[in-house]
Amino acid sequence: MILPAFELHHPTRLPELLELCRTLRAEGRDFDFVAGGTDVLPNYKNRLNPKGDLISLARLEGFDEIETNRIGARARIADLATSSVLGEHWPGLVEAARSIASPTLRNLGTVGGNLCLDTRCHYFNQSEFWRRSKGYCLKADGEDCLVVPQKKICYATYSGDLAPVFLVLDAVLDLAGPQGERSMPLREFYAFDGIRRFRKEPDEICLRIRIPKESEGLRTGYRKLRARDVLEYPVMGVAMGLRVAEGAVRDLRVAVTGSEAIPLHYGDLDLGNGIPPGEEGAEAVKRALLEWVKTYRNVPFPPGYRRAMAGEFGRELFMTLVSA
Amino acid sequence: MTRTRILRLKINGHEREVAAEPNAILLDVLREGLGLTGTKRGCDMGTCGCCNVLLDGRPVNSCLVLAWDCEDREITTIEGLLPEDPGALHPLQEAWAETGGSQCGFCSPGFIVTAEALLREDPEPTETRVREALSGNLCRCTGYKKIVEAVLKAARSGRGVEVGS
Amino acid sequence: MTHPHDIPNQPRRLLGKRIPLVDAKRKATGQAVYTDDIRLPGTLVGKILRSPHPHAKILSIDTGKAEALPGVHAVLTGREAPARFGVLPVSQDETALAVDKVRFIGDNVAAVAAEDEATALEALGLIEVEYEPLRAFLDMEQSLEPVPEELRLHTKTVGGTNIHKEVSQEFGEVDRAFEEAAWKKTRDFRFIGVTHAFTEPMCTLAWFDADDRLTIWSATQVPHYLHRALSKVLEMPMHRIRVVRPCVGGGFGGKSDPFPHEMVAALLSRKCRRPVKILFDREEVFYSNHGRHPSKIRFGLAVGKDGTIRALDIDALIDGGAWGSFGVVTTYYNGVLANGPYRVDNFRYHGRRVYTNKPPCGAMRGHGAVNTRFAYEVLLDEAAHDLGLDPAEFRLRNALPPNTKTVNEFRITTSGIRECIERAVEASEWKRKKGNLPFGEGIGIAGGFYISGSALPIHWDDIPQSTVHLKVDLDGGVTIHSMAAEIGQGSDTMLAQIVAEVLGLDIGFCRVRTHDTDTAPIDLGSYSSRVTFMAGNAARQAAENLRARLLRAAADLTGYPVEVFVLREGEAVNVTRPEIRVPYLEAVRRAMKECGALQATGSYRSPPMGGKFKGAAAGLSPTYSFQAFVAQLKVDLETGKPRVLDVWAAHDCGRALNPLAVEGQIEGSVHMGLGQVLSEAFLYNGGNVLNPNLCDYRTLSPTETPRIHPILVETNDPEGPFGAKECGEGPLLPVLPAVANALYDAIGVRFYELPITADRVFRALERQRKRRAVKDLAAR
Repeated sequence: MILPAFELHHPTRLPELLELCRTLRAEGRDFDFVAGGTDVLPNYKNRLNPKGDLISLARLEGFDEIETNRIGARARIADLATSSVLGEHWPGLVEAARSIASPTLRNLGTVGGNLCLDTRCHYFNQSEFWRRSKGYCLKADGEDCLVVPQKKICYATYSGDLAPVFLVLDAVLDLAGPQGERSMPLREFYAFDGIRRFRKEPDEICLRIRIPKESEGLRTGYRKLRARDVLEYPVMGVAMGLRVAEGAVRDLRVAVTGSEAIPLHYGDLDLGNGIPPGEEGAEAVKRALLEWVKTYRNVPFPPGYRRAMAGEFGRELFMTLVSA
Repeated sequence: MTRTRILRLKINGHEREVAAEPNAILLDVLREGLGLTGTKRGCDMGTCGCCNVLLDGRPVNSCLVLAWDCEDREITTIEGLLPEDPGALHPLQEAWAETGGSQCGFCSPGFIVTAEALLREDPEPTETRVREALSGNLCRCTGYKKIVEAVLKAARSGRGVEVGS
Repeated sequence: MTHPHDIPNQPRRLLGKRIPLVDAKRKATGQAVYTDDIRLPGTLVGKILRSPHPHAKILSIDTGKAEALPGVHAVLTGREAPARFGVLPVSQDETALAVDKVRFIGDNVAAVAAEDEATALEALGLIEVEYEPLRAFLDMEQSLEPVPEELRLHTKTVGGTNIHKEVSQEFGEVDRAFEEAAWKKTRDFRFIGVTHAFTEPMCTLAWFDADDRLTIWSATQVPHYLHRALSKVLEMPMHRIRVVRPCVGGGFGGKSDPFPHEMVAALLSRKCRRPVKILFDREEVFYSNHGRHPSKIRFGLAVGKDGTIRALDIDALIDGGAWGSFGVVTTYYNGVLANGPYRVDNFRYHGRRVYTNKPPCGAMRGHGAVNTRFAYEVLLDEAAHDLGLDPAEFRLRNALPPNTKTVNEFRITTSGIRECIERAVEASEWKRKKGNLPFGEGIGIAGGFYISGSALPIHWDDIPQSTVHLKVDLDGGVTIHSMAAEIGQGSDTMLAQIVAEVLGLDIGFCRVRTHDTDTAPIDLGSYSSRVTFMAGNAARQAAENLRARLLRAAADLTGYPVEVFVLREGEAVNVTRPEIRVPYLEAVRRAMKECGALQATGSYRSPPMGGKFKGAAAGLSPTYSFQAFVAQLKVDLETGKPRVLDVWAAHDCGRALNPLAVEGQIEGSVHMGLGQVLSEAFLYNGGNVLNPNLCDYRTLSPTETPRIHPILVETNDPEGPFGAKECGEGPLLPVLPAVANALYDAIGVRFYELPITADRVFRALERQRKRRAVKDLAAR
C-alpha cells in the first residue's frame, strides 16, 4: 500500500529542524513530524490528514536519553520497557511500556510519539475507501462526529499507554518550536477534543519528559484492558501512584487512558489523604473511578465493560500498591 | 512534486544503491527495488510481522519504516541469514525445517529474523521469553508450537553464524 | 499369491516417520516463491474499483477520463465479460465485475491496469459510476421476506425471497423420540462470522502472451476450478489457458473458489497484452472473505433414560452474504454432519441459507460443521450435567462404532471415537480434575466428526477425483505430477513420501510438480480434506504401477520370476535369495529399453455409496475422521478474560503418514478454533466491515495460544492410502465446545453465543454474583 506523496526532510540538529519549520510555515506548507512511524505511517496509508511535508526525526541527534528523571522524546519504547533503572524507580512506567503494541513495534516507536499518539475511533482508523462509503467524520474530511451524532467535537479515544503514568508522576514536558523552548506540566498538555488533542503548536516538538524529584518514592502501577496480550491499544488503562505512611495512603494519584479524547488525571479522586490501605480504600477508589470515567462506543469492547474495568483496575492496583 | 533519490543502504553486509522516492517504504525498496522477495508483505500496517527485518540488529516491521530513514544503517533480511558456506543453513533455518516451523511458510522469514535478534541477545531463552519476543508475529498455520520449538532447538544447537555485524 | 510388498503391517521406511516437509528449507530461507514474488517483464499493476454501496443499481459507468490518463493501459467494466461463474455448477452467480448491480460494500465494479500503483489508484478515482441505491439486506431475517424482483440479490432464489437454498431432511421418528425422551432441551445459538486470516493476501498474475495463450499464476487452492471458470468467463478453450499455482501462503478454504480478481487480471491482460498483477491489500482480503457463515442455530436434543441420544432436531439459518460460493454444500453440512461421532436414530434438519448485502461467505476449515458441532456438544454437556453423567462417559456410551451406517446412510468404516475419548481423558487426567478444580478453573470435553474428502465431486462427471502421473528418466529421479495444491498442509511431502515408500527410494529421489496445469493431470484441489485420501491413493497406485515395471525389469535382468522381487533401499531384491539384487538405476535402464522414459499413472475415484433420498450425496465421504478434545482453562475473575491453558487433542487420522505434519495440522486447527471461540469476529457497522484489518480482527498471538498436546489415534483405514485419513479440518471442530464446556465447569455459566470474550464472561459473572446475593438475602 503506497503512501501519499510528500517531501521528506531529515534535520540532524535541533536549530536546523526549527529553521526548517519556520521555512515551511513561511511557505504555507503544512507538515507533520515522524519519529518511529508506527502511528503516522498507518494513518498516512489510510490517507488520514496527510500533509505535503514530513519532517523525519530519524537523524536528529540526541533526545534519546533514558535516565531516572529524564527521558528523551526519541528514546525507543523498547528501551523503556527493558530499562532496569526505570523499573526500579517507576515500575508502572515500565509496565506501561511493555504493554505497548508488540516487541518489534516497540523497537520503532518512541516516547514522544506515544505521548503524541493520535486518537483512535472505529470511524477514523479506516481506509479512504471505507470512510467514503460510510461518510467521512469530522476528524478527517467530514463535518460531523459519527460516534455522537450531530456533535461538532471529536470523541475519538486517546490510546497512548505512557501518558497516564507520566501524569501520575507529575512529569514535565520540554517542547521546542520556532518561538523557542518551553516547559509544560503534562497535566496541562492534553486538552480540547480528539482532533486538537493538546496545547502544543503544530510546529513544536517534544524534546524530553522530566519526572520531578517530588515524585520520588511513589509506588506506581499500570493496568491495561485489551482483547489480546499484544498488538492492542488500551481500551481502558489505569495508572496509579501512591505512598503509604503511618498506616494510611498518602498522595494518591490516578490517571486514565483509553476512555476519552485525552488522558485524564483524576488526582486523588477527591478521596483525600488518609484512605485506609485495605479493601475499604480499594472499594472507594473503584466507586470513584466508576463515577468519573466516561467511555464511548468507538473502540473495541462495550463502553460499560470498559468503565467497569476502570473500577476493577483501580481497586486491584490500589491493593497491589498498598501491599507492595 | 516528489524527488527520487539514490539511497545507499547496507543490506546483508553489502552496500547497495537503490532509487527511492521520499514516500518509499523499506519493504517496497527491499522487494521491488532490490528483488529481496524473502521479506513478505502480509498486512502493510505493522500487525502481522511477515515483513520483519533487522535494522541495526533490532527486528522491526519494514512496512512501517521510511526507506530514506535507513541510509547508513545495517539492514539484515532473511536472505542475509544464510551462512557464507554454500549449502549451509543458519541454525534457526535448520531448526525451522526439521521441527516443522513452516507450513505455508509465508510468516517464516519474519519470525526467523525476529528470533535471530532474540538469540543474539539471549542465547538461551526460556519458552516464555521466546513467545514474548515473537508476540508481534502472527502465524495462521502452526498454532506457534513448532515455531517455539524450533527457536529453542536452534538455541540448544548453539549460536551458529554471526551475520551482519 | 500375496506379493511381498503387500504383506500388511510390514515396517515402513518413510511412512509413519517424522519427515521434514519437502519445501521446508526453501520456506525457512525465504527462497519459496509466492505469487507476488514473481517478476515478469513489463508487468502492470491491476486495481479494482469497489462499490461504496451495499446494494445499488449501476446506472452508468464512465471510464473515459481513466482511459485518457497517461500510464493507463486498460480499463475494464462488467459488461465486457458478463459470463457467470461460481465454484458450484448450481450457483453460477458471480461475474468478473458487477454487471447491473452491486451487492456489497467492496463489490467489484471496474478495474484498471497501469504502469504503477499510484497511476492505477489515480485512474480508479477518475472512473465515474452512477448508482441508484437499493434497500440493503443486512440481517438474515430480512432476507426471508418475499420482495420484488429488483430487490432480490440474484435471479435464482427460493419463492421470491432472498433465500438462496432451503433444505429439509428427516429420518426416523423425531417427534415421538422427543415425546418419549427422559431429557430434552432446545436452545438457540448465535454465531458471528469468522474469516481465514491467512498471512498471504490474494495475489494473481496473468499474462496473455503473443501465442494467444493465457498463463495465470495465482494463490489458489483449486487450480482446476479456476481453470474451468477462466475458460467460461474468457470464452476460451481450457487448453489455451495454463494455471500455475506458486507457493500459497495459507488458504484454509479462503482460496478455494475461483475469484473475480482472477478473472479480472486475465481480462485486463488480454486487453493490453501485458502481464497484469493484482495484489490485494488486507482490506480487500476481507471484502473477498468467503469465511465461515454467521448462523443462528436452534438445536434440539433428546436423550433417553439410559443415557443414549434419541433424537436431534436442528434448524439453521445461515448468512451467505452476496454470492452462492460453496453455500449449497454449507447448507447441507450444517445439518448432516451432526450424524457423527455418536449414534443417532432420529434426525431432523431444516436449513436455510440467505443472500445478504455483505461480503460472501464460503468454505472455511471445518466447513459447515463447526457451528452445529458447537451447539451439539454444548447441549450434550448440559444433558450429562442434568442427568448426573460424566460427560466423557456419556459420549463413550453413544460412540458410533466402526463398520456401520448412520441413519442418513453415511458409510462408516473405521471409527476411532472411543479411543479418542479414552486417550484424551487419560492424558488430561480428566477423572481427577473434572468437578474438582477451584472456582474460575475448569475442564471440558467435546467430540468431532468430519469428512475425509467428498465422495461425490462438484462436477458430476466420470473422471477420477485425483490422478497422479510419475515420470522416471535416466537420472533415476521420479517426477510426481499432480494438481493437488500444496498450501502449507504438506501435500507435496505426502505425495513424495508415498511414492518413495512404494519404490524403496530415498525421498530425495522424488521431485514434486504440483503447480502447473500444462503438465499435471487434474486433481480437484485442496478442499474438503480430500488430498491425503484421494491424491494419496492415486500416488500409491501410480507408484505401484511403476514398481511393477521395475520389478519386471529386475526379473528380466536376472531370470528370476517377478514375484520374488521387492524394491527396497535403492535395489530390487530377490527375497528368496537376497544376494540377487539389481540396483534401482539398472532396473530403470532396463525398463526404459522399449519405451524411453518411464511413465505411470494412478487415479482415485470414490466407490459408490449413500442413499437415494434428496440430498443424500451431501456429507458422503469414503471415510470419516473422529476427534475428542479436552480443554482446560482459567478465568481472570477480575476482567472475565478466559485463558485456555491446555488442549489435549485426540484425533483419529487413520494412520499418521507423517506425524510431524499431522501434529502441525492439529495444532493449527486448535489455534484457529480457539480464535473463533475466544476472540475472532467479522464485525459490521451497517454494511461496512468494521474491522477489515489484522489489528482489529483478532487471531491469537503466540503468548495466548495454549499448550497443545496432539494425540494421534490410528485406526488404519482399509481404503485410505496406507491407512490414512484426513487431519486438516476435523481437529478444529471440538475445540470450541470443549472450551465452552470448560467455562461451565469453571464458573457455572453456559454460553450460547460466540465469541466468548472477556466482557461477556464478566457480565455473566456479575449476573451470577447478583443472583447469589439475592439468594443470600432470601435465605436470611
